[in-house]
Amino acid sequence: MRLPPSRARPVNRRSFLKRSAVTLGATGLASATAVELTGGNALGADSASLETLERDSLLNRVAYDGPHQPGILQPAAAFATVAALDCVAADASQLVLGLQALTVRARQLTQGTTMPDQEVDEPPADSGTLGPVILPDATTVTVAFGATLFDDRYGLKGKKPVHLAPMEPFANDDLDPAQTGGDLLIQITAQHRDTVVHTLRELVRVARAQFVLRWTVDAFQSADRGPTSRSSRRNLFGFRDGTSNPDTTSADDMNRLIWAGSEEPSWAGGGTYQVVRTIRMHVEFWDRVGLREQEDMIGRTRDTGAPQGGTGEFDDPRFDVDPRGERIQLDAHIRLANPRTPKTDDERILRRGYNYHRGIDAAGQLDQGLLFVAFNQNPERQFKAIQRRLDGEPMVDYITPVGGGYFFAPPGTRDGADWIGSGLFG
Amino acid sequence: MTARFTLPRARPSLAAALACGALIGTLSGCGGNDSASSSSSGSIAPSAKAPAKVLGAVYGTRMTPQEAAAEASLKPTASGIRSEDPPLDPKVFDKPIAQYRAYATREAIAMRRPVAALIAALQHGDRDAAKQAWGDAYDRYLLLGAAYGALGDLDVAIDGTPGHLAGGVSDPGFTGIHRIEHDLWTGKPLPGIVTFAKGLQRNVDKLPHALRTVEITPLDYATRAHEIMEDAQRDMISNVAAPWSGEGLRATDDGLLATGVVLRTLSPILDGRGDALAQTTSYSQQLAMLIAQLKRAHGGQIPTLDQLTHTEHDEVNASLGALLEALSGIPGSLETQLAPGIPSIASQARAAGKASDTSAP
Repeated sequence: MRLPPSRARPVNRRSFLKRSAVTLGATGLASATAVELTGGNALGADSASLETLERDSLLNRVAYDGPHQPGILQPAAAFATVAALDCVAADASQLVLGLQALTVRARQLTQGTTMPDQEVDEPPADSGTLGPVILPDATTVTVAFGATLFDDRYGLKGKKPVHLAPMEPFANDDLDPAQTGGDLLIQITAQHRDTVVHTLRELVRVARAQFVLRWTVDAFQSADRGPTSRSSRRNLFGFRDGTSNPDTTSADDMNRLIWAGSEEPSWAGGGTYQVVRTIRMHVEFWDRVGLREQEDMIGRTRDTGAPQGGTGEFDDPRFDVDPRGERIQLDAHIRLANPRTPKTDDERILRRGYNYHRGIDAAGQLDQGLLFVAFNQNPERQFKAIQRRLDGEPMVDYITPVGGGYFFAPPGTRDGADWIGSGLFG
Repeated sequence: MTARFTLPRARPSLAAALACGALIGTLSGCGGNDSASSSSSGSIAPSAKAPAKVLGAVYGTRMTPQEAAAEASLKPTASGIRSEDPPLDPKVFDKPIAQYRAYATREAIAMRRPVAALIAALQHGDRDAAKQAWGDAYDRYLLLGAAYGALGDLDVAIDGTPGHLAGGVSDPGFTGIHRIEHDLWTGKPLPGIVTFAKGLQRNVDKLPHALRTVEITPLDYATRAHEIMEDAQRDMISNVAAPWSGEGLRATDDGLLATGVVLRTLSPILDGRGDALAQTTSYSQQLAMLIAQLKRAHGGQIPTLDQLTHTEHDEVNASLGALLEALSGIPGSLETQLAPGIPSIASQARAAGKASDTSAP
């Protein structure tokens, strides 16, 4: 299918960024080099500036095209924004145009591009907030579909992923409709805040006639403070989060736990379900709780992240030798979330959560929390089963899920001519 | 809302009672003769007037003064520094919990009257009177304070909010106090609210029995002493729990009163165990005085949240926040056991006769 014209033209020939950078490992992370930069040096950067760019990861690039969309397997970046949008496209052809425009612009922004030349009396094609050269900054853009996109508006009813449904509140939720659901979800991640903000601004610009912002959450990852490069980052309760994630380098695990199963429509192969939950953490309340009580609620030692009774973060909690909860309480979060039994093994999910901070509430309390993001093969079997087990856990007093949704992230794009969701319209 | 049920709960006297440590019951049957000593001779010594339940033991414990002193030597443990207060015998909570249970049961019975008034007002088509009765009924429920969390489904039926329901405010499962609040303040026809009010009445009738029989452990009770106001901070003053009436400050006031009742029953135990009670008393008094001042400034009514000026709201936030910081010391002062040591994974694995594989994927 021919791509629609975009106001942001294809990558300028003078782009200093070559597309032949070496792919590093399974993450698809690549890096432009100083040599590449000086090949065209659109930045006019001196050598000191180039060193800074490399040090700050601004040259890192995550491949856009591939069997799976970027932003799923890669470790959580430093910054993220998720934006849910309502689709207002008049018909299916308009929806296609919107998805194509998003894809083209996302590919440019994630791979690095330059501002196109243009007539001076035209509004600039790019906001310019990153300057004339847009460095890749390990940016990822992941697009996912909500259940409502498959209603009767666009003829997609028969193509809905079989496990996709609107998010119903769990017992301890207080979901705000204005912060929940959406036809489309865009997850943007990058190593710098300004890159994420710029990417969202540019993406919504190219598809204004088709998609309208419904809610957004800006989030960040805690810095890597060790003690090892493998150590999980901390959430805003001060505990390490994501310790028991499945191994993303294991194709078997990913095929069993993350990528769409054989029950899904053919177009969905290589896709995955994305769960987003905006979970307000009542941090002031939490800070008034004794350390032992905090650790008992989680089941881990706060400082090291080790399961209680262990010494290292990645110690097996060995629930099997603690059946009465003498070491880790029976209702501790980690025991309920992942009991580590053969029966619950295929419930495991890939968590890619972030912290968020967005001001204060009506009572002057910090509006902080967890932007819970997880990928899984079947939310019924995985996320919802886990969440139902967590119903009533002691931690519920300290958190309030206020928004989010279930989405399906379709497979990635084959090449530069493909676009996200193309399989839906074949 | 003018006529509120008046309990013998005048704020200054409560605050003053807390402040001076006299803490003589303002509610009959709450153990008025067991007031604690106002003197304190250190964190571990028995109070001069405290009734020693175990001869020669530190009040509330089974320890001799020497044993208590040994426990209080700030010996580090595997999990940190040990509390300076010796653990309490759980039995010392029997009387406070019984006192509280009697108080809460009376409150639950007293709730019947405003609920009946609510139904009558609805049937007479008097929205203003219905709102007033609703406020009185809500006060009564919040005055239960330390128990509603333990009431489970009955609490949800009475005080449930719509956030956890798929249909939100339109969900058929949205009933109880807040459904009535929503319908009253959003102009819904009064006859349609009667059904919900009668449902509320049936549930309120179940409350006294539930309160007499619900299990309340020492840990529950010690925790509720600070969580009533934590709930007020999270749900009330933030305008989450009662958004249509805007009565978050009035609800906070109720929570403060309920907290005062709980603390009064606990004061014989808390006296002499650190400064948490003194701190709490001071900040409770300040918040009570602030709310009374706001009430006077707003024509004798506790203002709704949207009637507060920015400065007034700031003052409430600050006062409540300071009280909460003080209250956070209460549970730690009421421990019935030292934080137990945590067995190692390896020792449990050995005991279970299984190899300790501590390398998780």
